[in-house]
Amino acid sequence: MARGLTRAQIGVTEAMLRTFGEVVFGLSHNHQTRHGDPIRLQDWAEVERQREDMGLSDAQIAVRLGLTRDQVLFIRTLEERRRFRTGHYQRLLELGGGKRFRAEKFTPHLDRFRYSEAALALRAALAFDPRQVRAFVARGWWRDDTLTGWLARHASERPDAPALVQGEVVIGWRALQARAERLAGALATAGVAKGDVVSVQMPNLAEFAIAYLAICRLGAVLSTIYMPYRATEIESLLRHSRATAAICMATAKDWAPAATFVELQAKLPDLKAVIALGPGVPGALSLAGMIDTGTPLDAEVAPPPVAADPFLLLYTSGTTAAPKAVLHNYHTMLSNARLGASEHALTVADRVMSAAPFAHLFGLYSLHSAFFVGAASVLLPVFTPPEMAAAIARDVPTALWTGSAHIAACRALGLFDKFDLGSLKLAIMSGSACPPELVRWFAARLPGCAVTQLWGMTETQAALYTRPGDALEVAAQSAGRVSPGTEVRIASPDGTVLAPGEEGELQVRGCLLFPGYFNNDAANQDAFTADGWFRSGDLATIDAHGNVAITGRIKDVINRGGVKFNPRDIEDLLDAHPKILQSAIVPMPDPVLGERACCFVTLRPGAAALALDEVTQFLSQRNIARTKLPERLVIVPEMPLTPTRKIIKGRLVIP
Amino acid sequence: MKSADGSFSDVDPVAAKQTIIDYCKKKGALAVGVADLAAIERIAPPGHRPSDLMPRVKSVISVGVGGQTAGVWSLPAKAMAYFGSTETRAYGVAYGAAFFIESRFGAPTIYCPPDMDPEGGPRVPLQSLKLHAELAGIGARSLAGDILLHPEFGYMYFASVFTELELPPDAPMAENPCPAPSCIDMYRKIGQTPCMKFCPVQCLSGEIDEAGKQKVMRYDMAKCAEMSQQYESVPAMIMDAIAAETPAAREDALFDPDNKMLWYKVSAGSGGWFAQCFECMRACPIATRAPAADPIRRMHLLRQVKAGQE
Repeated sequence: MARGLTRAQIGVTEAMLRTFGEVVFGLSHNHQTRHGDPIRLQDWAEVERQREDMGLSDAQIAVRLGLTRDQVLFIRTLEERRRFRTGHYQRLLELGGGKRFRAEKFTPHLDRFRYSEAALALRAALAFDPRQVRAFVARGWWRDDTLTGWLARHASERPDAPALVQGEVVIGWRALQARAERLAGALATAGVAKGDVVSVQMPNLAEFAIAYLAICRLGAVLSTIYMPYRATEIESLLRHSRATAAICMATAKDWAPAATFVELQAKLPDLKAVIALGPGVPGALSLAGMIDTGTPLDAEVAPPPVAADPFLLLYTSGTTAAPKAVLHNYHTMLSNARLGASEHALTVADRVMSAAPFAHLFGLYSLHSAFFVGAASVLLPVFTPPEMAAAIARDVPTALWTGSAHIAACRALGLFDKFDLGSLKLAIMSGSACPPELVRWFAARLPGCAVTQLWGMTETQAALYTRPGDALEVAAQSAGRVSPGTEVRIASPDGTVLAPGEEGELQVRGCLLFPGYFNNDAANQDAFTADGWFRSGDLATIDAHGNVAITGRIKDVINRGGVKFNPRDIEDLLDAHPKILQSAIVPMPDPVLGERACCFVTLRPGAAALALDEVTQFLSQRNIARTKLPERLVIVPEMPLTPTRKIIKGRLVIP
Repeated sequence: MKSADGSFSDVDPVAAKQTIIDYCKKKGALAVGVADLAAIERIAPPGHRPSDLMPRVKSVISVGVGGQTAGVWSLPAKAMAYFGSTETRAYGVAYGAAFFIESRFGAPTIYCPPDMDPEGGPRVPLQSLKLHAELAGIGARSLAGDILLHPEFGYMYFASVFTELELPPDAPMAENPCPAPSCIDMYRKIGQTPCMKFCPVQCLSGEIDEAGKQKVMRYDMAKCAEMSQQYESVPAMIMDAIAAETPAAREDALFDPDNKMLWYKVSAGSGGWFAQCFECMRACPIATRAPAADPIRRMHLLRQVKAGQE
């Protein structure tokens, strides 16, 4: 309004605003140009000549254009409003400590801080119970941990100490940080932004760790792909995660990973870059080149991540239409690793080896633990029993992340006799429940090594473990006690919390727990109880000391004519059979009883044929009830295994 | 006292001027001058001349008070906003001077409102305090958007007093301290002076001639206003809220941290409300390093002068 008059009262129309807006604005004092110094010098001719350049008043513009002063005032004011851009004040907020604004280095906030729609969707999935969070923070469980921060700490405090050891290649903390920083910059150049997902399908190489740290430095999210996966599974995961980049091997023995990823780019619009380690592949960037020549990120332009940022998107099962994608932020994962390090008695002097692939969270847990304490990670690129045994003897790790299947395989091949594994002070066995006798045997073979068990899931990382110093039988017969910040309970199918000694479902909550499956409401409805506990799907008992024994999987329970039993203890017995290497008992549909037990086995090398009678007799001699005895035997050359060597019972097909 | 013809014939204009100058300096003014009223009337556009505000005005007195300590210039930019309000000290001196003149000489006097013209809309002041000060000889236009600088006191805040008492005018400054020698050097190398280079919205440009004098000063006041006139963001904020498509967007438009600060500044009259960006002056060697720009050094200089007199 001009003096209370509306635009209609002073005859201003939208057409007039459009017609005169620009010229009024240009003639006004909004743009001022002065030549020389005419006012100070009282050069009246120049003063008059420059009036228009110096900016006219509304009244003067009115005369100049043939408008009323009110019209000019109205037009000018509206034009100023329409041109006015807000938000510049933020530019001042960064100018501290004598810093000056520099246009050549300035990137507007709006360009610097922008998450993609996919990244925002991931962030939206990080919804935790606020009361729990308050407790996590109050207890000091959730802090400001990030891998980038830990790396910076070690690079500063122990720059030349080994961070990664891969055979003869040793990378110190400062060098590791520099490589990660360069790769992070190169990833940004390749189009990866903060919050984007980067999928990685690589063995446990130094480049995996560098890529992981680079992805974290950038504020992006790592999504691992298991090494056995091929095009169909990879496409499904990349589509679900909306990955913007994929890092893989250039070549492999029986397929062409990088070429496959490059081909998939045509189907996956989000996948901007394929980055390969190894010989050049058309359409793929060179990982080694990016690590060597990338320009480190400017901390002001690309600030490092914070603990609340998502950084891991892991797939637990299946690559079907509704995969279970587990999203973690640094709070959940790194609090668990930080709190667990002292429980495992890890120190900076340790050398940590993982037989589990980094594509699996158990493998990553080894990195998280080593990265927290500043221990060296001794890399075993791909597990085979001989290579692991040889690597332990050669690289002398002090701590081994392993699975019972790994140890069983080494034992079967007699590798404990062929190699000196005496450097090990700690072994953490996970992936599946360990046969007690295997734990006892392992501990007996390595008296200086604390053999411990750990139970965790992709949803939790390390929820339960036995500690070095625990009695051997605790480690042999249980997965141990809760990790700091974790709570567990045993519940019946109707939700009743069971007493010690009673078998039921193991349920978990705590500072380590993921917030829910990404973009999978159906899975989330099944996964959590009404009061927020995560339903692990594992059967377990808990003793009076809090040690939890995993007794099986709920869905593995066999219902034989109404008599339900958990086949786990039978499998443990069978694993001790002289002819059997691995066993798995699954329900077999039966028209009369509903289900019967079918036993799948793999035989030890050189073992003679095995008959069902031998199996039932073996079990009967060990006082197993007849109703629990397998009623069919299937001998398979190998078991379908998870990356941590756990048998995937769902893939056992009864012929 | 005022005679029948409206003059104050019993007042010695020269002595009165000195008395007023002394008063202002005693109250904290660094520089005081009297502008040539005729010149102001000739240059200021209609509606913004002293006589438009005070028809019987005979003299325009301009008062300059000190800018910032060296410590303030070294503060983070965001903190500068809260030291910008030292201009109120200039207004305080002028306010006191107006009473002083009326009580001492009986001449009707006003303290010139340092505000927008209520009929002129945004970005239009009632009077140009800058023009008054320039013509009073206590500042010269710089390449930094015509901000006035003084060779001795650097960057000052100005206030004006209009009075019916006729006082002898001062002349504008004989020399313009802007550009400083170091700024000329920088301009010769990169084509920009510090104020141009370090302006956060790049609203300044210009040229320096062969003699090291200002040739052209260009000032995009609209850009500067986007940075420094935050009150104009308030209606934009409300428009954003009205146009918001979701409740979350509406909530952000009204209550996100930046916009909530705007509400605070509206309600509290915060010092950060106007002209909170001082980057051109923070980069200016005259503003920050003029011999008496820093009050501490100024006191030292005054002591030296006093010692010399004794």
